[in-house]
Amino acid sequence: MERVYLYLLLFICATPMYAQLDSIQKLEEVLLIDSKLDDYSDGYQLTSISDTLIERNKASLTDVLRFNSAIYFKENGYGMVSSPSFRGTNASQTAVIWNGININSNLNGQTDFNTISPNSVSDIVIRSGGGSSQYGSGAVGGSIHLNNRISFKKQKENALRLGYGSFSTLEGSFKTKQSNKKYYVDLGVDFIDSKNDYEYINLEQKNENGEFSRFNVSANTGLKLKKGSLSWNTNYFLSNRNFSGSITAPSDDHYKDVTTRNLVSWKTLKNKWASTLKTAHLLERYRYYPNKEKELYFEGKSNTYLGDYLLEYELLSNLKVSSVINYTYIKAEGNNTGNNDRNTLAAIFLLKHQVSKKLSYSINLRQEFLNDFENPFLFSVDAKYQLISWYSLKLNASKNFRVPTFNDLFWDAGGNENLQPETSYQGEIGNVFHWKSLQFKLNGFYITSKDLIKWQPSGSGLWMPVNISESENYGLEFSGIYSRKFKSHLLSVSGNYAYTSAIDKEKDKQLIYVPYHKVTGLLSYNFKRFSAYYQFLFNGEVFTTTDNVGILDAYSISNIGLEYEIKRQPLPIKIGIKINNIFNKYYENVAYRPMPNRNFQTFINFKF
Amino acid sequence: MKLLKRIIYLFIATLILSSCSSDDDDIIIVDPLGDYEFGFFVTNEGPFGTGTGTVSFISEDFSNVDHTIFNDVNATDLGNIVQSMGFANSSAYIVVNNSNSIEIVNRYTFESFATISVGLNNPRYFVADGDTGYVSNWGDPFDNNDDFIAVIDLTNNVITSTIPVAFGPEKLMIVRDNLYVAHQGGYGQNSILSVINTNANSFITTIQVGDVPNSMVLNEGDLWVLCGGNPDYTGNETNGRLVKINTETNSVSQAFDFGATEHPNNLTIDSSSLIYGLNAAVYSKEESSTELPTTSIISGFFYSMTVNEGKLYATDAGDFASNGTLKVFDLTTNSEIESIEVGIIPGGVYFNN
Repeated sequence: MERVYLYLLLFICATPMYAQLDSIQKLEEVLLIDSKLDDYSDGYQLTSISDTLIERNKASLTDVLRFNSAIYFKENGYGMVSSPSFRGTNASQTAVIWNGININSNLNGQTDFNTISPNSVSDIVIRSGGGSSQYGSGAVGGSIHLNNRISFKKQKENALRLGYGSFSTLEGSFKTKQSNKKYYVDLGVDFIDSKNDYEYINLEQKNENGEFSRFNVSANTGLKLKKGSLSWNTNYFLSNRNFSGSITAPSDDHYKDVTTRNLVSWKTLKNKWASTLKTAHLLERYRYYPNKEKELYFEGKSNTYLGDYLLEYELLSNLKVSSVINYTYIKAEGNNTGNNDRNTLAAIFLLKHQVSKKLSYSINLRQEFLNDFENPFLFSVDAKYQLISWYSLKLNASKNFRVPTFNDLFWDAGGNENLQPETSYQGEIGNVFHWKSLQFKLNGFYITSKDLIKWQPSGSGLWMPVNISESENYGLEFSGIYSRKFKSHLLSVSGNYAYTSAIDKEKDKQLIYVPYHKVTGLLSYNFKRFSAYYQFLFNGEVFTTTDNVGILDAYSISNIGLEYEIKRQPLPIKIGIKINNIFNKYYENVAYRPMPNRNFQTFINFKF
Repeated sequence: MKLLKRIIYLFIATLILSSCSSDDDDIIIVDPLGDYEFGFFVTNEGPFGTGTGTVSFISEDFSNVDHTIFNDVNATDLGNIVQSMGFANSSAYIVVNNSNSIEIVNRYTFESFATISVGLNNPRYFVADGDTGYVSNWGDPFDNNDDFIAVIDLTNNVITSTIPVAFGPEKLMIVRDNLYVAHQGGYGQNSILSVINTNANSFITTIQVGDVPNSMVLNEGDLWVLCGGNPDYTGNETNGRLVKINTETNSVSQAFDFGATEHPNNLTIDSSSLIYGLNAAVYSKEESSTELPTTSIISGFFYSMTVNEGKLYATDAGDFASNGTLKVFDLTTNSEIESIEVGIIPGGVYFNN
């Protein structure tokens, strides 16, 4: 193994050494299960969404990201199926990574963001740009990382939160956390239940059949070993939803989701070597009831078994290399897809070179084997260069892919077993400016994709997926944050703006449901135990038809929230109220599906 | 037909005007009955799930195209999946499938004056017989035992009764005192026609025709039924079949089998030529000929086809996610004479005469 790395090293670079990497021998106090994320992404923009921000949109992961990032969400009515569009790509080209594991559905290739509890993660990282060579299929526009960090420091925390809001929305969560230098354990339970029967503003209609409930349990444990660590992450999620009607069509549908995720990681450190052995099981299951009053349902489920071995070697003090062997076995069955399975073996090579304090770069390579379709060779290269103390330049380029889903391949009728993966190339230039408490970032990206899978009617009228479409996406993203403190007052302002052009090359038209413009803003004020915030979202107009004739209007909405902490020992309490859509604006996120009018959420939070 | 109707209108108008007026006017001005009197309609299903279907109006000479006439006149949307429309007297009945409703408008002005929103469940097609209307309904598409024909009293536009029928009722045809219901089969496949007596609104018989009867035309007491056959993906593929029904005896008098994997659709008629679509082409069969034609007259895959006065009106739904196209072919030369952009998923062409 060492020899192979040496050859590679000679082949790739022979540059003088200046800086040092963080030694891999030191086990961090706060353990990120997916250590690759921090280590091999210098030339990418990573945006972390703190737990404070998550807390403010506790009811919906869609809202957390909608109000705090440039990612656009197409939500089929509030609380219903919610699919992201990252840089104008579609939902199956946005990978969701849970503790380093790709959890996009094997059946439809996507993650419905309303089937993930925001309570179940400790932090969310948005990694802009292609990441297929590290994270596999679907990391085309970018990836969203849901992490559960494990910290080996002495702490004991219990928190109970209860909330009540408009549309008979009841939510609650309980989280307990205990750890010391040796072990870590946390357990969280949360639920939300909502009638979601808001009135459509200026229409004599209500949101019918929109009720939903979710229940989630997650637990994370870690054990510090003499030379390494052992951890176990587990999550159980259950959701029951009716799918709401629209202005023009009633609905009787009901949908049930169950997902479970388990991951065991064993990390060992020895001299200049580090290795992580992971094994995981993922289950996703859905049941679709066309009529909630009746017994009939259609179901699908998939089991994923995964083994992953990462071996890392610190070749030089400023150069480290990793190789990963990942084996995935997926077994899926359903009324419409029959019984099918897939074996995938992936070999990944990662290199990180800290050339100097100011300059670093990394190289990621991936080759898959065993799949029935072609296995493209994937790569990414990225670099970060700090030109001056307040300015860094980031560059990356990559080739990414999205494999056909089980629905694409086997759907009865129409599934096409001859499908090939979608492939795309992309490049990005990022600029990071940093002066004391002011930081802003400006990114420009370009993505060209081909062999995109599109379902279209065949000559016999049957809808079939084919590798036919091509698209070209480019755009600009701006984000900024500024904070200022004087005496006990803390004021912070942050915002995002994204311009996205996503062109269907066949038609030379903007792809449907991709806004050219999106703006988010957040103003927070904190004074002693009191805090207030204002969230703003502008969503530009989107096209609803592929000829760009159908247009859904732009909208802007504002939310405000107030929180107050009563630091009464031994039971500190925090209470808060949030008013969503304060100006009571009518807006649709998907055509003919109005979103909620002005509504309230209140909560009380006990810590003990 | 059209000319005849116009002459009749003119004649009636003349009568009224001359009887009311004592003046001897040299020029008689006939007010049109509405903006949409002289031309035809295209029903556009619209996007599935959300959104609204539309009705396009196109004038006889194709010079005037108006895309969303229902909304323009009534300032409201039709609803989700505009499946079809039918006429009765001076009214047009627009069947809105996913909204479970029928919008009733004046066929010349398109002013809405009634909506039937109770008693329908997945309505498909409408046909009128005097003061009675019939609407085929799938019911719950996953339940094969709740399909029915809704009977409407057209004097007050209320559903007065329902007639339970076999699953998947689709196109309807009135022949004298009988209503013929083609059971295409909804989400599945069926293979029969139901015959219903329209005096008693009672079921008479079923006729076995062939798998997936998808379209019908009537010519001098002969009902021609085109069956698509079971598609390949059912695992029980059957050939298409063209069947002639004698409506006196309600029996099959002639049948033509297509090739084992041929699935024709969209039967329409140009005097004595039966016209249908097959394998992305259009074929024409003389009624009297004893064999199916082997060469096509027009190429193209069309979502619906209707013949009127020697012209074929064929709709192309494109990618089903953007505006479709209406193509008009002259059947004497089989050449395209017009191509007009219409709404999303144009599913039917209806002549207002």
